[in-house]
Parts: sequence; C-alpha cells; structure tokens
Amino acid sequence: MISMLYFVVESMGSFCSRQQPLNEVDSDENKQAAKIDSRIAEETKAEQHIHKLLLLGAGESGKSTIFKQIRLLFQTGFDEAELRSYTSVIHANVYQTIKILYDGAKELAENEPNSLKYVVRADNKEIGEKLSEIGSRMDSPCLTKEIAKEIVTLWNDTAIQETYSHGNILQVPDCAQYFMENLERFSEVNYIPTKEDVLHARVRTTGVVEIQFSPVGESRKSGEVYRLYDVGGQRNERRKWIHLFEGVTSVIFCAAISEYDQMLFEDDTKNRMMETKELFEWVLKQSCFEKSSFMLFLNKFDIFEKKVHRVPLNVCEWFKDYQPMGSGKQEVEHAYEFVKKKFEELYFQNSKPDCVDRAFKIYRTTALDQKLVKKTFKLVDETLRRRNLIEAGLL
Amino acid sequence: MPQYQQQASWRLEGGGQVIDLETAVKDGILGGGESGGGLPAGKDGSFGASAEKLDLKKMIEELDSAAEEDVPSVFICPISLEPMVDPVTLCTGQTYERVHILKWFSLGHLTCPTTMQELWDDAVTPNQTLHQLIHAWFSQRYLRLKKRSEDVQGRTAELVKTLRKVKGQARVQALKDLQKILAAHPAVKKTVADSGGVALLSSLLGPFTSHAVGSEVIAILVNLSLDSDAKANLMQPAKISLMVDMLNEGTIDTKINCTRFIEMLMEEKSFRSEVVTRLSLLVALLRLVKDKRHPNGIVAGLSLLKAICFHEQVRSLIVSIGAVPQLVELLPNLTAECLELALHILDDLSTIAGGCSALKDCAQTIPNAVRLLMRVSEACTQYALSILWAVCKLAPDECAPLAVEAGLAAKLLLVIQSGYNPELKQRAAELLKLCSLNYTTTLFISKCKLTRTIQ
Repeated sequence: MISMLYFVVESMGSFCSRQQPLNEVDSDENKQAAKIDSRIAEETKAEQHIHKLLLLGAGESGKSTIFKQIRLLFQTGFDEAELRSYTSVIHANVYQTIKILYDGAKELAENEPNSLKYVVRADNKEIGEKLSEIGSRMDSPCLTKEIAKEIVTLWNDTAIQETYSHGNILQVPDCAQYFMENLERFSEVNYIPTKEDVLHARVRTTGVVEIQFSPVGESRKSGEVYRLYDVGGQRNERRKWIHLFEGVTSVIFCAAISEYDQMLFEDDTKNRMMETKELFEWVLKQSCFEKSSFMLFLNKFDIFEKKVHRVPLNVCEWFKDYQPMGSGKQEVEHAYEFVKKKFEELYFQNSKPDCVDRAFKIYRTTALDQKLVKKTFKLVDETLRRRNLIEAGLL
Repeated sequence: MPQYQQQASWRLEGGGQVIDLETAVKDGILGGGESGGGLPAGKDGSFGASAEKLDLKKMIEELDSAAEEDVPSVFICPISLEPMVDPVTLCTGQTYERVHILKWFSLGHLTCPTTMQELWDDAVTPNQTLHQLIHAWFSQRYLRLKKRSEDVQGRTAELVKTLRKVKGQARVQALKDLQKILAAHPAVKKTVADSGGVALLSSLLGPFTSHAVGSEVIAILVNLSLDSDAKANLMQPAKISLMVDMLNEGTIDTKINCTRFIEMLMEEKSFRSEVVTRLSLLVALLRLVKDKRHPNGIVAGLSLLKAICFHEQVRSLIVSIGAVPQLVELLPNLTAECLELALHILDDLSTIAGGCSALKDCAQTIPNAVRLLMRVSEACTQYALSILWAVCKLAPDECAPLAVEAGLAAKLLLVIQSGYNPELKQRAAELLKLCSLNYTTTLFISKCKLTRTIQ
C-alpha cells in the first residue's frame, strides 16, 4: 500500500515540470531558500535605511571637492599611499596650468587691442615654449627644483600676471594661484601631498564613485548612514544613466556661482552659468527625482565674493536684470541674494505641482574650506533627519 | 484709653512670653518667617499709623494678584471674606474687619453676625495678636515674592550671559530655558533687552544656524518688543532666508512664530518689499494656509499673505505660484475671520491682469463668491462683490451668465436693499445692470424669482 502511494507520488511529480523532491531533500532546499530569502530581506531593509545622496552639477562645479571633503570629515581620510598617488596628478596640474597661462598670453597678445601687456619678456620666451610643450604631453615628467624655478620665473612675468587676471576667457583653473604659490614644496624630492593639496588637485571624474559614511553627531550617537555618489560633470550622455539614481533621498546640485563670466571647457562659446542653468532645469524635470529633496550648493562663494566687485553680474545673460546696490559686504550679500532668487525661480518654474512637497534648500558653500563644508553638511543632515521624522508623522 | 505701647515682652524674640509670635509663625500652619514688627495702637485703639495699614493693604493686593497661596481662614473677615487689615473682636469673641462690623452696627444690628447672639456689650476690641499674625504672614510672603522676581531677573541675566558663551546642545537648552522663563514671567522682557539679549539673539541667526537653534530664537523674539534698529537688523537677507526655511520645515508652532514675526517686521517703516518677494516664502505660506489640521496656521498665514498683497509689486509673483485657484477652493471651509482675509487677498489680486484672469479661469470663483454675498459680513460682501465685478468686467459674455445661474441677481437685490454703505450698493446696482444685459427683462426677472424661491 505504502509503496503504491510512493509510486503515485513519484509519478505525480513527473507530470509537473519540476520533479517534486522527497521529504528530506525537500526540507534542505527549503531551508536554503528560506535562508537566502531572509538574507535578501535583511539587506533590502538595511539598504532602505541608507540615505543615498547624488552629487550633480556641471564640470568643475566643485562636486569632487565636496566628495573629498566628506571623505576627510567622516571617514578615515586619505592614507599615505593614496596621498602619494596624487603627486603625479598635482605635478600634471602644475604643468597644465602654466601651459594654459603661457598659451593664453600668446593668444591675447595676438588678439587683444593693448597687446603689449601680454607679451612675455624675451628671456622668458624659451622657458615658456618648453613648458608649453611639456604641458601638452600625456605623461608629464616629475617636477624638479630646476623646472620649478623656471615656472616661478615665468609666473612672475608681468605678461603672465596680466593674463591670469583676465583668466575668465581662458580655461585657467581657479586654483592656479595655489599651485604657483606652493611650487617649492611640490618640487621637493620627498614630496607627499597634504590634504589641502589633494583638495585642490584636479582630476576629471569618470564613471561613478561612491562612499558610505555616518556623520557622527555632537553626542557621539550613531547617526544616519549616508551613501554619496559622485558622477562626472562634463557633457555626456547623462540621460542614459541618470535614471539609475531613481529614488535617491537627495540630489546635491553644485553650482559654482563664481563662474558667471567664464566659458565651458568643452565649448568655449558657451557661458558656464548658462550651462549650469540648463543642467539644473534638466535635472528638475527628471521624473526619477520626483520624490528626492534638492539641496542646492551655491559653491565657490569665496571667489564670488571677490569677483562681484570687479566683474558685474550682468555679463551673464541670465543675470542681465541685476542692479548693483551698494558696495563692500552689502553688495556681496545683495548680489548673492539675487543669484539665489534666480535659482529659486528656476526651481519653482520647473517643478511640477505634485512635487511641491519636495524639500528644497539653498546653501552657500566654499568647497575648499573644510570647516564650512562640515557646518553645511550638519545642516543638510539636520534637514534630512527632520524630513524623516515628518514623513513618519512624528513631527 | 491708655496708649497701647508695644512692650518688649510682647516682642518676638526671647522665650517665656505667653505668645512667642516668631515661633508661632515659624512652627504653625502659617509657616516660618519674619517678625511681625511692633506697632503701637492709635488713640482709638486702631492699629498703627496709616502708613502701616497701607503697607499691609498693598501687600495683600499684590499677593492677591499673584494668587499663589490660600490665605489662612482665621485671617478672613466673615463679613467681607477678605483678609483683615484692622481686626477687632466683639464680646462674643468673634473677630471682624473694623470697617465692616461698624457698618453692621450702624445699620441697627446689635448682634454678632456669625453666632447671631445678641451683644451685651457693643465695644470692639482691636485684636492686636491677630493683626500681627496677619502682617507677619503677608510680609513674609511678600518679601519672598519680591525676592523670587529678583531671582527670575537674575536668572534671566545669567541665561543671557550663558548664551554668549555656549554652543551646540547647550545653546539650544539655554534658549529653551529662557523661553520658559519669559512665558512664566513676562516682566523679564525688560531684563532681556537691558542685558543686550535682543542683539545677541539676533546675532545667532545666520546662514549656518541650525533649525533647532533658529526655531528657539524665533519663539523668543516673537514675544519681545523690539525697537526699530533691532527690527532693521533682523531684515537682513540671510536672516530672512533662515526664517523662510523654518517656515517650510518647522513644526506648526515654529511656522506660526515665523509668520507672525515676519508680519511684525513688515510693520516697520524701513521695510522694503524685496524682503518678502521670495517664491519660497510665498509657497510656504500657501502650504500653511491649506493645512486643514491647524486652524491657527491658516489664520496666521492668511494674515501675512494679506500684508504682503498690500505691496503691488509682489502680487504678480503670488499669482504665478497658483495662489488664486488654491485660495478660491479654500473659501467654503474657512471661518469668518479667515474669509475676510482670504477675500481681501483675492480682491487685491484681482487688480492685476494676471490675477483677474486667474480668477476668471477658476471654475469655483463665481459660485463661491456669489454664495458669500450677504452671508458673513459687510466687508466680505464688499470684497466678494469687487471680485465678481472684476471678473464680469473682464469677460462679461462668459461670466455674467455663470454668475446669474449661480443666483447672483437675487443676492445683488439683497445688497441693494441692505443698510450697507451707499458705494457698495451702487456697485451692486451696476453689476446687476451688467449681468442683465444679455437677458430679456422677463427672463432675467424669472432668474431672480427662481433663485429667490430656491433660497
């Protein structure tokens, strides 16, 4: 009787597409499956508690600097090996910078009306040509004391200084001054970059980088867990990969407000601020960010502060209706408020009515200043935690 | 009668007296304390110089308003139910306030009011013991009250000093403590102002202020009276930005505090409309106004919006965020106070082209406005009428029929017949004419009659 039952059960199994295993094997496999299921459930739950932050912005808006700052603030920072790895980057940056300045001076000397001030001194020309050639190579040589001396000489040439002060129409990086001032240190034989050096170093981000961290609060209790993503900023096929970030807790959009008079690296006929404006509009319209909070970092405030007095905001088409009001610190605040309002307008114009409950906050930042970044991030953390409580109905 | 001298033996220190007042006060139900102070009785046996009585009277008054402790029942006059200033005892042994018992006698009664016994002796004896006890009791508590209020002032000054030094959680706690004291003892506002508290609190608001600190500061500032300089200082863009952020993110109390505070700032002469020309502020206010869970918030939000609408330059911005349809849709659910505010806002917005067309485009405008005529108050009727007028003038062919269908004609007739001001009635008449243009007389009258019977 039992064997008949056995037979029936067996044959029943063969009718199904999958063989029904017998009791013991059955329970083993089930146990395995259950284990995997619970593991998946655990990890999904853990994932849900991780707040994902996405850094977006045009090229050179300071995203990667913010990224590095967060590493320095909330992780173990850079170890010696990593610091060393930046040496060649910094040396390359130096060569690139001086090349841009020298080539720029030549260009200005040819095209500008009072060209004489851009003409490099005769005895510096040879140095200039040599450095320009080095800067164009893919692999730059190590920065030796001799070359450093030559660079300093060239840097001190009035024509180069003149070029630097008109750097906006060229692609002179903002940290040119920092590099030139620290040449002696960079050219030391046993040079290991400092944290400050690393923050200034410029590498184009390719692909996506991420770090996970937990900002430790004042009371040292464990805080929220954040995962920060940094993507490259240059014009590329954004629309293809942006949806991979659907449902991030927050988009941190970096806009360098000092760039209102500068042109794009990829297209030197396009004003950088206009590019940022278009990018922000595009990001706001993406449906994948419908539920995400928007944190707008108006970055490079320190450069903005100084530039506002020299270069009127109206040179940028978006800001053409700006009316200067006073002078000194008041003027800076006034100009900053104007820019803020413009971004606010842009935000509300491009947010659909059902996105009204999205958190939107504007922060002024100077990514290179670690203290400021820490303060700013504390505010971001507070906002996101409050959001959580509000959504949970506890506030 | 002999002058009643206060003997040393009656005084309070030293033992061996029949009554040791100090101990009695200390150990008895009357609590510990001060010596009563000796007082010589006057010629007629009444107590003390009038200066002494005034003191006691004053103390009684102040303590009464502080209303902290119950006065012991033995101190209370059975006639007036007030503490006795000049207690006198009858031959029955009952004690009353002199003034009142004499009045009793003067009315012709020769009985003891409480025991109802006939008096065999109409003499009234000043009860010095009781007087001293009463005085001692009140003095003690009066001095305690004064000390505590000084204490409170001292504590407040301490807190302000602390605020200058601490940061982080300690700062938030100090602010919370300060707010608690201010809520319990409004008189310390002056102390805060005197110790530079206002400027200090103001300086705590800036671009890097956390929400925790900012919300506490605003909760304090909104209850202080600020001078023009302080207010001007608080109108700095960075501080206003912080307030707007808190309006967006805070608890309902914080939101209301910020709203009221900004409204307060707007009353300053030096106020410029750019301060409130901010989309984030207007959006936050609109959200506040639509939050049905918190009626306080709705009132505060509408009040500020109305103040903002007063500035013509901001009106188009308000319209651009879609305020008009959202406000119109709110109307049926608002209280009378809110209705007046909301209608006032919509009326102001109707003065600009964008606002007027937004009103026209919103389907609920006409029905809601017609319904509100003659419903709530003269002011509401005036605003509703003004809105209808603006909309019908803009697109008479489209709007007039809608209005008439909604029962406008009958309402207008009511307005015209009402006791409201003549200008309003004139307007109503004109609107009636405008609306009747597209109808024949009979059809129009039927519209009126029909709607009246519906009502």
